[in-house]
Parts: sequence; C-alpha cells; structure tokens
Amino acid sequence: MQPLVMKLNGQDVTLQIDPSTMLVDVLRDELHLTGTKVGCNEGECGACTVLVDGLAVDSCLFPALKADHREVTTIEGLAFDDELHPLQQAFIEVGAVQCGFCTPGMIMAAKALLDENPSPDEDEIKLAISGTLCRCTGYTKIVAAVRAAALKGGK
Amino acid sequence: MPMGYVGKRIARVDSPDKVTGKSIFPADLYFDGMLHAKVLWSEYPHARILGIDASAARAYPGVVAVLTAEDVPVNEYGINIMDQRVLAQDKVRSVGDPVALVIAESERTAGAARRLIVVEYQELPGVFDPREAMAPGAPLVHEEKGTNVLKHFFVRKGDVAAGFAQADVIVEGYYHTPHQEHAYLQPEAGVGLIDEQGRVTVYVAAQWPHDDVHQIAHALNLPETQVRECVTAIGGAFGGREDISLQILVALGAYKTRRPVKLVYTREESIRGHGKRHPFFMRHRTGATRDGLLVAAEIELISDAGAYASTSIPVLANATSFAAGPYQIPNVSIDTYTVYTNNLVTMAMRGFGSTQPPIGYESQMDKLAERLGLDPVEFRARNVLVNGSIAPTGCVMEHGVGMKEALERAAQAAGWQRKSSTWTRPQIAQPKEPNKRLGLGVACSWKNVGYSFGFDDKAGARVELYLGRGGAIERAVVKIGASDVGQGVETALAQIAAETLQVPIDRIEMMLSDTAVVPNAGSSSASRHVFMSGSAVQRACQEALGRLGGQEAGAGQSVVAEYIFRGREAHPTTNFDPVTGLCDPHISYGYVADVALVQVDTETGQAELVKMWAAQDVGRAINPTMIEGQVDGGVLMGQGYALLEEWIQERGYIKTRNFTEYLIPTVLDVPKEIVPIIVEVPDHGGPFGAKGVGEMTTIGVAPAILNAIHDATGVWIEELPASAERIHQALKKKAGK
Ligand code: FES
Ligand code: FES
Repeated sequence: MQPLVMKLNGQDVTLQIDPSTMLVDVLRDELHLTGTKVGCNEGECGACTVLVDGLAVDSCLFPALKADHREVTTIEGLAFDDELHPLQQAFIEVGAVQCGFCTPGMIMAAKALLDENPSPDEDEIKLAISGTLCRCTGYTKIVAAVRAAALKGGK
Repeated sequence: MPMGYVGKRIARVDSPDKVTGKSIFPADLYFDGMLHAKVLWSEYPHARILGIDASAARAYPGVVAVLTAEDVPVNEYGINIMDQRVLAQDKVRSVGDPVALVIAESERTAGAARRLIVVEYQELPGVFDPREAMAPGAPLVHEEKGTNVLKHFFVRKGDVAAGFAQADVIVEGYYHTPHQEHAYLQPEAGVGLIDEQGRVTVYVAAQWPHDDVHQIAHALNLPETQVRECVTAIGGAFGGREDISLQILVALGAYKTRRPVKLVYTREESIRGHGKRHPFFMRHRTGATRDGLLVAAEIELISDAGAYASTSIPVLANATSFAAGPYQIPNVSIDTYTVYTNNLVTMAMRGFGSTQPPIGYESQMDKLAERLGLDPVEFRARNVLVNGSIAPTGCVMEHGVGMKEALERAAQAAGWQRKSSTWTRPQIAQPKEPNKRLGLGVACSWKNVGYSFGFDDKAGARVELYLGRGGAIERAVVKIGASDVGQGVETALAQIAAETLQVPIDRIEMMLSDTAVVPNAGSSSASRHVFMSGSAVQRACQEALGRLGGQEAGAGQSVVAEYIFRGREAHPTTNFDPVTGLCDPHISYGYVADVALVQVDTETGQAELVKMWAAQDVGRAINPTMIEGQVDGGVLMGQGYALLEEWIQERGYIKTRNFTEYLIPTVLDVPKEIVPIIVEVPDHGGPFGAKGVGEMTTIGVAPAILNAIHDATGVWIEELPASAERIHQALKKKAGK
C-alpha cells in the first residue's frame, strides 16, 4: 500500500492504494466516482478518459500513482454548483447523447481540446476525439455539440 | 389548445444524467458485502467434458464458491428454444460456453482462482460452415436432434418456371455476409442479490427484462414472483442484449451465496459472451422483362445459427419474408435454412434478418437494371411495392406503403431528375486523380415493426395521474417495462404521454425499471417500442383521461389506468402456410431508400463513403432530432459492415477479440455528409401514424455502398466487407490480370 495525494475535482484527496492500481480503479472502486466508464481496460475505446493536469488520458492505462500530487478532473467535476459546463449543455441541446456510455469520455476529451484551443475547426475536433469510440451516434452530433460549445466560449 | 409534443425536437429526458456521469450502468453498482464473480469459458469449440476438478479453486483463500452445472437447479435457458446451458454440462459446443463460475471476495481473487480449475476435455470434431453442417454425416452439434438443420422455411408464389420463361433478362448472384459484432461500448455487467423480500434480484442492462425474469426463474426453479430484474442505464444494445448473457449467472451466485454478486465482463469476454449477427450465404436468380418489370425470383438463403438456437428461427423467418425485396414479383420461390455449427451463437442484431437480404436482392436489382439499360432508380420505381400491391409472401400491402416516396425523396436529394417521366441520374464530376473514381449507388430496403408471423405482440402500460388544484393534472407517472438502450424510447414515450394528456412534458415522470413494478412491454427490438409501447401509453392515457372526466376530481386525488396494446389491433399477422409458405407476416413496416456516393482508389482498392442520403419512412416523426441521431449511427454501423468490420473465427476460435483486432468506425471514418430524409407515410395502426426507426437506418447502407462501388469501378463485390484487398482483387480480375 502506498499513499496517493491528488487534487480531484478541486478537492484534496488522500488515500492508500495498491501501487499496481490504475487510476480508473481508484476513481471507480475506491471513490465510487462511476461517471468515468470502462469499455475495454486496454486503451482502445477512450470511455475512461479523464484529465490529469489538463491533459486527456486513458485512466485505465494510467497508473494511479502517476497522478500523485497532480490535478485530476473527471466528469463529476465539470458542472459548477449544478450549473452545467457548456459542453454538457451542448451535448444535451444538440442531441449528442444516445446510450451515454461514451459521453463522459467524449466530453472530457473535448474539454481538454477546448481548454487548449478555444476555437477548433472540425478536423481538430475530430482528431481530439478520435481515440474515443461511440457505437450509437455516428459521431456527427458529437462533433456538432463540441463546435456549439466552442462557439459559446465553452472551456 | 394542442401542446404539440409529437414531432418536436425535445431534448432527451435522460441526457442531463448522462452528461454529468450520474447515470448508473450495471458496473457502477456497489453493495455492502458484495462478492465478485468470474466465468471460466470453454476452451474448445466442440468437446466432451470428462471431469471438472475445482478443489484447488475452492480452497483458494477468499473464494466463496465455485459453481458448475450440478449447482444449477434447471440447467437450461434460451429465448426461443431452451437449448443453452447456464453452465456447460457433459459437453461444450462453442468457445462461448461458460463452464464454471468462481465467486470470491474480490475480482482479483476470483480471477486467480479461475486458473486453478482443471477441466478434462475430450475434443470432438466440429463443424464451422453451415453448408457443410447440412451435409449428411457432418458432426452433430446437438446429437439428440439428429440433424444440424434447425429450421427450413419456404415460400411458393405463382410459378417461377413460367415466370423465368417470360423473362427477357435473368441475372444470378451468390452473396456472402459475415458475422458482425454489436460492439456496444458497455461490456456486459450485472449484480445479483436477494432483496429485503427474499426475491432474487438482478441489476443488469437488458433489452427484455420480463423475458429475462422468465428464464432466470426457470433456471433457478423459482416462481416468477420470486425473481425481479431492475434495468439500469444501458450502454447500447443493438440486439446483443436481447438474449440472456450473465443474468442467470449473477442470479445463481446470489441464490447460492445469499450475498450480492457482481460480474463484469472484460471487452474480450463481452465479445466471447454474446452472439453475433448471422452470416448468410445467399443464392439469387431474378428475371425481368424488357419493359423493366420483375417476373420471377428464385432465392436460397443459408444462415449460420452457431451453437444454439437463440433467435435464429425468427431471424430466418424475417429474412425469408424480406428475401425478394420490397418489390412486386408475381412468381417467387424461396428456400431458407438456419443451421447449427460450432461457431459462436448468432442472434439479434439491428435489422434482425432484414440486413443481410438486401445485399443480395439490391445487387440483383442493379445487375438487372444494367442489363436492361435502365437507370437504377427508374427500374426500382417501376417495381416497388405501393398501396394495394401483393408482397412476395402473397399478402396485400393495404396501406402505409412508403417505399416509393422514400425512393423518390432520396433520389431527388441526390440529384436525380424526372425527365419525360423517366428517372435520370445526375452527372458526377470525377476527381482529377486518374486512380480515384466516384460512383453513386441506390438501395431500397424494408423492415418489420413488431413481432411477426402470428405471434401475439403485446405491450402493457400503466398511467397514474395525480391531480392538483381544480382537478388539473399535476403529475403523470408512466410505468412501462420498455428498455431505453440509447434509442430514446423513454423520451419518445414521454412525448406521446404529454401530447395525449396535453400536459407539459416536465410533469411526465417515466418509470421504466423494475419488473416487480412496471408492466411487461416486450423487448427493445423489432423497432417496436414507438409503435407498440407508444400505442399502449397513448391508450392508457386516453383511458385515464376518460376516467378523469367521469369523476368528481379534486386536489390530492389520483386516477390510474392500464392498457395492454396488442399488435393485432393494428394489423393481424399470419404464419407461413404449411403448403405454400404464403403469409401476411408483419404488423407494420418501415421503408428505406439510401443513396451512397463512394470514392474508390483503383490502385489500392480502398473504398470510402463520401456522402449518404438516407430516406426513412417513419410514418410519423415523434422526435426529428432523435431520428437524425438514429440515421447518423445507423449509417456508420452500416458503413462499418460494408467496408470495415470483419469478425473472424477460425474453426470455432475467435480471432478478433478486442477493439484492436475488431475495428469499428471512429470519428475519422465519418463521411463528409449524411443527409437524413424523414418521410412520413402514416400507418394508422401506430400512435399518431408512427411506425419505427432504429433498425431501418442500417439495413440499406451496405447494399447502397456496394452498388456505388460497382458504379465507380464496374466490379460487383458479392462478399462483405468490401475491403481494399477484396476490391483490389476484383479489379485485377476484371482487368484480366
Ligand atoms: S476503458 Fe480505457 S480506453 Fe477503454
Ligand atoms: S452514445 Fe452510446 S456509445 Fe456513444
């Protein structure tokens, strides 16, 4: 067991973990933050995407200890007091959500993009979410939602 | 004043929870004292089990139980025929058969102990191609049945010999479609527990919770009142969650240990643990006259059922009814077979027997049009079913046949024009690069809505109205066991309720889950929920309103109504006639016309979908945004089927085990544009005229792409996927190299 200290969704968190644990398992099994999904556990689907110091990572392949003393943001940390993040708002309004299993990962990947590049073009949006699979939506409305959020200055 | 909720672009009612991560999928559940399970899978596609030694696994610290066949009270299940074993008994018939279930204090322990189980197998010769499995002397998958042929259907309409004698042109083709994996993003997961009333309770993402309860109760030898299923959020389904996957395993685990038991499949286990779309082998012979009228079709379809029946028989029945296409053909002879093999079981997948046939019949249509020198739209327009036509199975298509409208709308959108009453294609500017060729391809297709062939399709709904001041409806609760697999049925039903009750939609509270509370509405399949469950909700609301009118209603009071809608109220269906095979198979239909613009690199053979016009006759659009979403997703799934996806088994062993080996389209594969065209030819049996949507969006995509590849290059691709290699080979052959 080793200590892990991180700033998770703006709050300081300290816990003891088995050093072989991946970040996604800490989030889900230890902290029950289940908004982060597991679609493959092998870095193939992007459902587990979270932000570590602002960068989108596959949390299923990210050793939890690598997050030590860093800032981690998950889908649960996006809405501010009940006010939805512009990306969340846009996903709802545009109709970019179907089953919703890919949605948290998609939104986190898009957030990493918009934080870095507030007005991306279509190709940049596609590249940013190209590691995140969706079997339901055909991606069209997801791309449209990211663009709509960008237009509204969503970060 | 009508509120107009039907036809409106309402935001999905479940989306706020889904964008914030609050939606609970089954793997997101944690209970006190919860145990974790792991499945030991069959090592062989076909083998006798001589013995199982689980003593070391049972002795492993942290292991609570290791369950095998003898622990299952009634060791059988199956959605159609109970020929599956909860845990393998005596023999395994595919590598997807679970052999043992390890239950331990942690997932890691369960996984470690699983490796300690020793199973002694005696390998048996297997059979992996349905055509070989039909041959006399082939190894039998189920010995007691005496044959591998699970079902044969036929249709004899008119006189095909006489029909072909009238034909000026006859074309033939032999087509093959492969397995397809559903590849929903959420791997199977579930929790079984004993609730406070002592009932075995399963939390799972499922398409038909009430049928699951029936099968779980059967396997555990419990009355159905002692079993409950609670449906969580569902991470996609596409047919792959219609059958039982791990429901009985977690139920059995809880039943035996009296503690909550959680089982979560890895991606590899998901791919191993649920069936696939049926591969089909399709032989076609089709004849037409010089005037461009179809006169005869002779068709043979053979599908690979895999190791168990699942829904292979109803899938085949559907395929039989759709085999000749949405066309008027006076003389038709169809024979279809579904055959057991030692491949993974095959099951429902978006289209349910309507997806494979158009690969055959639509290629035939283009081959005929080419031979006759007719434009492919013009040729189809002369032959498509219209109101009053006789379908290939001999029934009269009375009303609501939107095939021609869909075809004309798609063709017009793609640039076709009607010149001197003949449809004429647009000229397309070819790319400057000499190795790039563009082509346009058209496909018509059709798909049933609701359960077919005389089956009594039923959907129940319960509506509770809670009244406020002046007797106004303050809150309406709609209870219905309809699974929202992502298609949006929860929102569509809320819209129907709001419209019928004429109350704002935020006063509608939907309750879809818990079989102990909500009425059985049938499965999320057959594109049936809007039609069937929508009708049930509409009628229940109407009945509640009627009661409301008849009573002294005041604040604090409530009114309740239940309605079970039966498909035969809309249109009664019949099974295949035992002598002729003729039937009136389906309650309702959706009609689809797709036009694909495809670019082929003639050097590499790589084909790319550039643009798709997709016209869907949905009867009445309940929510256009959700329909567009279905079209976008359906087109991409069809594109994957056409060009990319290849789920491979070699002699029963799975070769494409994860998303690195089985590729599905990413955002980088999306065509430049998808143009959804919503056609509304109402079916008066459906709510507000609505038919269905979900499956229809996929079925015409692959044939339109294949026809576009032919238009671009002159080669016919008769086997999916139309990979670069396959197209390249065909081009080489055509060039005589
Ligand atoms: S779960 Fe991490 S990439 Fe799929
Ligand atoms: S919405 Fe279902 S996987 Fe994306």
